[in-house]
Amino acid sequence: MNRKIVGIGLLTVLIFAILLAGCTQSDSDQADDATNDSEENNKDELVLAFGSEPETGFDPTTGWGRYGSPLFQSTLLKRDDDLQIVNDLATDYEADGEVWTVTLRDDVTFSDGEPLTAEDVVFTFETAMDNGSVVDLNSIDKVEAVDEYTVKFTLEQPQSTFVNALVATGIVPKHAYTEDYAENPIGSGPFQLVQWDKGQQLIVEANPEYYDTEPHFKRITFLFLSEDASFAAAQAGEVDMAYIPAAFSNQEVPGMKLEAIETVDNRGIVFPFAESGKVTEDGLPIGNDVTADAAIRQAINIAVDRQALVDGVLEGYGTPAYTSVDGLPWWNPDTVVEDADMDRARELLEEAGWEDTDGDGILEKDGLKAEFSLYYLASDAIRQSLAISAADMVEPLGIKINVEGGSWDVIGQHMYSSAVLLGWGSHDPHEMYNIYGSDNAGVDYYNTGYYENETVDAYFEQALAASSEEEAIEFWKKAQWDGETGLSAQGDAAWAWLVNIDHLYLVKDNLDIGEQRIHVHGHGWPATDNIVDWKWSN
Amino acid sequence: MLSTPEEKNKQPLLNQRRRMLLTIVIALLFLLSVVLGGLFLDEGRIATNLNERNVPPSFDHLFGTDWLGRDMFTRTIMGLSLSIGVGLLGATGSALIALVLGMTAASMGRVADRVISWIIDLFLSVPHLVTLILIAFTLGGGFKGIVIGLMLTHWPSLARVVRAEVLQVRSAEYVQMSKQMGKPRWWIALHHILPHISPQILIGFMLLFPHVILHEAAVTFLGLGLSPHEPAIGIILSESMKYLSSGMWWLAFFPGLCLLIVVRTFDQIGEYLRTLIDPTRAHE
Repeated sequence: MNRKIVGIGLLTVLIFAILLAGCTQSDSDQADDATNDSEENNKDELVLAFGSEPETGFDPTTGWGRYGSPLFQSTLLKRDDDLQIVNDLATDYEADGEVWTVTLRDDVTFSDGEPLTAEDVVFTFETAMDNGSVVDLNSIDKVEAVDEYTVKFTLEQPQSTFVNALVATGIVPKHAYTEDYAENPIGSGPFQLVQWDKGQQLIVEANPEYYDTEPHFKRITFLFLSEDASFAAAQAGEVDMAYIPAAFSNQEVPGMKLEAIETVDNRGIVFPFAESGKVTEDGLPIGNDVTADAAIRQAINIAVDRQALVDGVLEGYGTPAYTSVDGLPWWNPDTVVEDADMDRARELLEEAGWEDTDGDGILEKDGLKAEFSLYYLASDAIRQSLAISAADMVEPLGIKINVEGGSWDVIGQHMYSSAVLLGWGSHDPHEMYNIYGSDNAGVDYYNTGYYENETVDAYFEQALAASSEEEAIEFWKKAQWDGETGLSAQGDAAWAWLVNIDHLYLVKDNLDIGEQRIHVHGHGWPATDNIVDWKWSN
Repeated sequence: MLSTPEEKNKQPLLNQRRRMLLTIVIALLFLLSVVLGGLFLDEGRIATNLNERNVPPSFDHLFGTDWLGRDMFTRTIMGLSLSIGVGLLGATGSALIALVLGMTAASMGRVADRVISWIIDLFLSVPHLVTLILIAFTLGGGFKGIVIGLMLTHWPSLARVVRAEVLQVRSAEYVQMSKQMGKPRWWIALHHILPHISPQILIGFMLLFPHVILHEAAVTFLGLGLSPHEPAIGIILSESMKYLSSGMWWLAFFPGLCLLIVVRTFDQIGEYLRTLIDPTRAHE
């Protein structure tokens, strides 16, 4: 009996050894091939490893191109490296109250040779409105083509942030828009699709019909790899650029440099602002009496040590966050609070009447314990670390945060009555209105805390009604903090923003990825914003 | 057993039987201390401490600390204690199901026997880790999902053993006699059969235990079980995988070793109990 088992054991080991040897053999062969290839074609080809694949495809009317460059399509307007709005397909635009008039270039053709006209623009926006997708175009009343190269948008009411819809929406061709457009995109952008193997890779080639500066790279391959695999591919020299998580940042990869790019890809805790008692239409509870107390929210904002979170959780690759728009033109720097100040936080709580009466380490007020749940996305390690660390940081104050991990479904059940760790970050100031405006209370993941402040709402209204972005900026800033009230930690503290996460890329030493703008939310793709400017530096 | 004084001197201080009993007691004490340790260790020791991240093992932190500065020794003990708790619930539930089904199959007539044997075969035909993942997933994961999943998946082989035992006991003369005297079926089952098969149940229960713990760890490792910040051993191991490539070996090594030791201890207890109780194996 025993001998038999030993025999079987030996045999298994032997077979394994042979199998393993076989595997390593073929692997190294492949690796050699790949490196040879990339060296030979170093001139105009590029291989990038990004974590996230745009699974829904490349249709701008359903959301493609919101993060990073739309690659295949081009937009009416775009933001330059300083985030100022400049013309792209448009030669001129003019806002007059509700009416926006855009004049188009007359020399643009799609990659199939057909000219791009006002008809296509009208078609794009009408399709996007009908799709009712993440692209928020609710404010449009109608879109008309005035002549072949002029489009007139009529809004329901004046809205200064409408310009962002023109920046974010790639124009699709009316004549070639079919059911499977998302998989076979045709557009007027710098690149055209060669091949898309779902779950594996995307190959694009330069579009010969492109009207603007020709991209330096003629062929770009995007590999959709997990974080570990991206890093391994970078170590093996198989990719020219890889998006990596902070955990890998302290390891050197020969021949590559680490680029840490500042972002507004932020993470913060959204508190239920309303008092409990109400329910949503679906019967989910709204509000939480503990977090409805401004003292609790402010105390948490003051007590968390944001720099420690950056150093500890993000390995130093990040910045402390105070609002959802840190560093953007419409950010109000007065919103920065002195944090990691336990004494002041304690004072605040004491003034508000919170006291530990039964000696269990948790504060009470009128029989209510300072205790609430904080939900985070279980599959996201950084959110998990931030949630646990933040909860531990405020525990000495006597505020007990029970951390709960869950899927988006689970979070959706609890997000109106419990705190949630969420992330936002966009180049569109409209986002601030989405997450703080009382009109958006309980709409999707916007304003889950049912935050409401009349003064802030009034500023939002003024900002939206402004005739241009420059004019609106003043009101966006005032909504954050006007000296007396505001949505930021100085005022109502509806959120406790924690950190902005730097986006980390391993980049070949001689690859120049240009001046990167402050990145938005999204894994990897924001770097492609200026992909047309990328080049080898020698 | 009688023996001459000379022979007695040659014998070791403890004979095999005593040695087994001693081992069992020590093993039980060890497991008890792990469970109690998990219950009474200060929660504060697994609080995050961002100043002491990724510290290798030292006297302050026997098993080192993780990337948030939590003490790995405390986390491991708490994780083991949680795992043992889950294992206890799962194994008890499974043993109960096995007992009920096995007894029913063997004593409640042909149809019941056929149906139950068919169910047993059905469950045995699929690897139970697969069924477990399925059940845990449908119940939405979490503590409840995993415990119910464990209970519903680990009973078939024990049920089969119970059924065979019951069949054997049932044909014994005193049971037949009892039947002739007009005792109802359930009375016979309770008074004649159950006492007879209790050793099998006990041993089966002990041997299920390590199985259940390993499967609990496997499912939480895959992310279908408990919330990822809870100190479950499967979660600890799954997290540590991410940090292996940066050279933080202690994150996986100690918790893995501890899991191995605990599982092995249970297994050993079960084996020894079987040797001691099971008459057919008593001479081994």
